[in-house]
Parts: sequence; structure tokens; C-alpha cells
Amino acid sequence: MVKKKQVRLIAEMARKIRAYRELKSRPRDSQKYALDYDTMKRPLTGKMLPVLAWADVRKESRLFSILASMRMFGVGRLFTRKSWLEDHTEPSYWQITKVKVDYTAENMDHGKAWGILTSKGKQESDVKEVEKVMYHDWRLIPKHEEQQFTDFEPLPEPPVRYVPYPPLLRAMLLAQHKKATGRVLTEEPILPLKRDVRLNKDYFRSQEQARQSKEGTEV
Amino acid sequence: MASSVLSRCVTAAVKVKRFSPALSVRRWLLSAAYTDTSLWEAREKDPHNLAQLAVTMDRTYDKNLPVSSLSVSRFVDNISSREEVEQAEYYLYKFRHSPNCWYLRDWSVHSWVRQCLKYGARDKSLYTLKNKVQYGIFPDDFTFNLLIDPYIKDGDFKSACSVVEEVMLQEAFDLPSTQILSLYALGSYFAARPQLTMSEDRAMGASLLISGLKQDNTVGLSAQLLGNALLGKVEILGGIHAVFRGMPLFWGRGYLYRALAVMERVAAASDDIKLSKDTLDHMGELLQELSSSSDSDSSGEESGGEEDKKEEAGDEDDLAEKAKLPQYITRFKELSCQLETRGKVDSASLQDLVSTFAQQNLAAAEKPDLEQYESRLQAWEAEKRQLIQREKEQREKANQEREERLAAKAAAQQA
Repeated sequence: MVKKKQVRLIAEMARKIRAYRELKSRPRDSQKYALDYDTMKRPLTGKMLPVLAWADVRKESRLFSILASMRMFGVGRLFTRKSWLEDHTEPSYWQITKVKVDYTAENMDHGKAWGILTSKGKQESDVKEVEKVMYHDWRLIPKHEEQQFTDFEPLPEPPVRYVPYPPLLRAMLLAQHKKATGRVLTEEPILPLKRDVRLNKDYFRSQEQARQSKEGTEV
Repeated sequence: MASSVLSRCVTAAVKVKRFSPALSVRRWLLSAAYTDTSLWEAREKDPHNLAQLAVTMDRTYDKNLPVSSLSVSRFVDNISSREEVEQAEYYLYKFRHSPNCWYLRDWSVHSWVRQCLKYGARDKSLYTLKNKVQYGIFPDDFTFNLLIDPYIKDGDFKSACSVVEEVMLQEAFDLPSTQILSLYALGSYFAARPQLTMSEDRAMGASLLISGLKQDNTVGLSAQLLGNALLGKVEILGGIHAVFRGMPLFWGRGYLYRALAVMERVAAASDDIKLSKDTLDHMGELLQELSSSSDSDSSGEESGGEEDKKEEAGDEDDLAEKAKLPQYITRFKELSCQLETRGKVDSASLQDLVSTFAQQNLAAAEKPDLEQYESRLQAWEAEKRQLIQREKEQREKANQEREERLAAKAAAQQA
């Protein structure tokens, strides 16, 4: 038979200590996202930024470079990104609600921010972490322009179209209905051409759970 | 101390001079009631030894623990000489670079500015204000008024304009008193026709525009016009990025177009709003200067391939702006003729307009400010008491826990 596996306590301890030290020596935001503007390299990793970003990096500023010189780090103000301005005409902006600045940065221009996103005129309901904070792409919306920037009349959405089911599937649905209830289904089953689900991790997890609860555990 | 006594004598002398000629009291510049320190001095004192506070703070920083905003506010409150102002500056810098930097209290900033003004360290307060990123000094509007006022009273309009620039960067032109004071400072500085660099041009233009947007009368609209014209000049000379980078300004091109739109609006408006003559003259001069410089640029421009590399996709729009310059000049001439025929040009200079405006409105604007200040002072006091209470409770709890731990250790040792 196979020899019983050796319990290596010291190796375990070493592994734990190494994990702890790695956790403690994580680079701060200001070190991770520092940039040498002459060579366009990050000093921490030595990697260069993509060429298409160089013009933006020279001309525009990071979110925290703007936030550092604002009262309360700009909580409650609106910020937009130049790439959004170029992409679409509908207004998209972040409203900042919480800021955690990296105090080891010399000019306080790195950190994390949280806020409410309004994308293409549709406001979301909960606070999320602001993505791409370190991108040189951000612009402040001045107070006297806020009103003009944010009022936006969305076009009415076109009505959802419906199509009949494929014949075999339709037959299956009618048979299932008859088996379940005993009556014949009077209305034609129709398939909407738009599904109101976002296909992300949470959706698949909930589907999996629903399927498991329906099937039940195997004996 | 002597300097504060002197400044108080000067303000008293100014007040006496104002009283003598006219029967009706006209307050121009902030009245003595506004700059009075008696309300501020009347709060309850919290005396602490500065050296002890400094030692505690240093020890907390060494142990990597967070320093509370209460200790910083205590330090700033207990400043009693000029050297201590320097020390307080150091501790403000350290606090800003600590994890609690967001929690620097409003009253600490207000007290810092008051102490600087009291001990004659006005330039120090201006320095910390300019480097607000490093010191975290973001005064509220009352404090801004207190800071602009002594510079105006001394006639040092350049520094007054730098304070107004800071107000603009914070977009803090909410109170009418702040708007009046800043327009006054800007108008007086401008009347001296100084030679401005591009960045100063941009700052002045932005301050004039943003403060002018709040006022809907002759003064405000002339300020908007001049601001737009200056920003248009920077736009043409340096590109739109040179205008809005680092400033709360809109990134849309065509500031000169917006200046002409202001003129059109005044020409078409039926009420009694006019534009000041010297702003129109200045705008005309500016346009002439720009067109002549652009002509000389295009004629002598063969300076090699570097220029071509710089003129890429983004700058196509800047070049398009420059090409519109002759159109702007013709439109400007048309509009100024229109304004003159409709009698919408005020022959007083911007500075005179602003001074009359200030004389009429400043007293009325000051009253609500003072009431709000009093209520704010009380709110600050309540908050401070709450913080002190919380600190005491935390200290008691820490002491209790320590005693329990010691008792447990002693019991464990005995057993």
C-alpha cells in the first residue's frame, strides 16, 4: 500500500509565513500606478504603457490628480471620462460618494473611489467601486455645466417583438401543459425576442440553484 | 502681537475716515463687524501645552497609529506666536499625509487662517492655501472672505487675485459677499493692466468667468465677456487642453464664440444691462493681437517636421478654431456697433462699475453671512464637545481593558 503521507509541519508554517509576508509587502496604489512620463514605463513592473494611450497620458489627468485639489476629495461631484465623451453623445458620469486616498502618495493622487454610475443617461441604483481610476482619461464637470450636461431625454425604447415557437418545441410545450393541467392550452405560446437577463456570474449561480432545488438531491 | 494691534488700529482709522464725509454709512470692503474677532475669541478655550501635544503626535506617528483631528485642531487653536505658526504648518502637512487626512475639520482650517492673520503670517496662509494638495487647507466661504479682505484693504491686488483664483478652483462663489469681493479684486487688478503670462491669463479668465456667471447684471456680464475673451486667447495660443486642464472649466472649444454670444445676448436683451467699454476695448485689442500673431506665424512657419508631428488629429480642431479667427473679428465689430447704437455700452471702467456695485450691495450681503457664521460656530462647538467626549470615553475604555489584562496576568502568574 502507499506509505502514509508525511505531515510536514514546518513546511506548512513556512508556507503560512510566506503568504503573510507577501500580503504585508503588497505595493501601495501610489507605487503600483506610478509612471515615468518620459519613458512611459511603470517603475514597479518595468512595463510600458500601450502606444495609443501615450497621447492621453500626456494631455489628460487621473481621477485622483483632480480629486486631490478638491474640498473633501470631490465627494458629491460628477466626473466623466474623455473616452465616454468621444464614444457616445448620451451623458455618462460617475458621482463620487466615498473616497479612500493613498496617503503615502506625495501629491495624494492615488487611491480608490466609490460612487454611482450613470451610463448613457441611465442611473444605477447602488454604489460601486469606480473602475479605471488610474487611467489618464478623467474630466471634472464644472458646477455651472452640471445641469446642461446631465439633462438628457432618452429615446423611447422600441416595443419588444414576439415570434411563434419552432413547431417541435411548440408541440412539446402544448403536450407538457396538457399533462400538467389536463386542459388544452388555448393561447399560442410566443417567444419574446429580448431577454431581460444580464449573463453574469450571479445569474448562472441562481439558475444552478433553482435547477438543483427543482431536481432534488439524488438518493 | 504688535502687528495685530497695528492692523486693528488701521481698520479703526479706515472706519473713522469712512464715517466723516457722508452721513449715511457706506461700507465698502468688509465692515469691521465682519472682520471682528470678538465672536471667535468668545468661544470656550481649551488650553493645551503645544510641546506636549507635539510630543504625543510624534509618538503616535512613530507607532504608525492614526492621529485624531481633535489633536490637530487643539494644536492650531493654541498657537501663540509666529514660530508656532511654522510648527503648526509642519503638523498640518503630516496630518494630510496620514490615513485620517479626510477628517481635517472646518473649524481647524478656519482657526488656522484666523491665527495666521492674527500673528501677521498672511503670506504663510496664502502659501498653504496655494499648496492645498499638500496641506489640506480648504477654507469655507466665510474664511475666504476673511482672507481676501486684508489684501484688498492693503491694495495688494495681485495676492487678492491669487486668493480669488483659489476660490475659483474650489468653485466656492456661492455667497454674494464672496462674489462682490472677488469681482472687486479682479476689477482693480485688471485696471492696472499688468503683463500676464499664459497661466495667469488662464487663471484670471477662469475666475472672471465663473464669478461673473453668478451675477446677472452689467458687472457680471462684463466679467463673463472678459473671462471668455481671455480663455479664448489661451485656447487659440495653446489649444483647448491648455485651457481646461486642472481647472473647473468646460472642455468644449470656442471660448471666443461664447464671448460673442454674451455680447449678442446683451444686445438682444430688453432690460437695462450694459457692457463696460473697457472690456469691449480689451477684447478688441486681444482679437487684433491674436490675428496679427497668427498671420506672422503662418507666414514664417517653416520650422521643420517637429511642427507637423505635433499637429495630429486632436489639434485639427484647434487649427479649425484658429481659422475661425477672422470670422470672430468681423462678428465682434458688427456686435460692438450694434451695442453702441442701442446704447448698451457703459462708459465707466470695470473697476468703477464694481466699486459702485460693491458699495450698494456689500452691506446687505454681509448680514445673512454673519448670522450663518454664528450658527456655524455653535455647530462647531457642539461637534468639538462631542469629539472630546468620545475621546474621553475611548481613553477610559482603554484604561479599563488594560487594567483587566493586568489583573488577568497577575492572576495567571499567581496560579
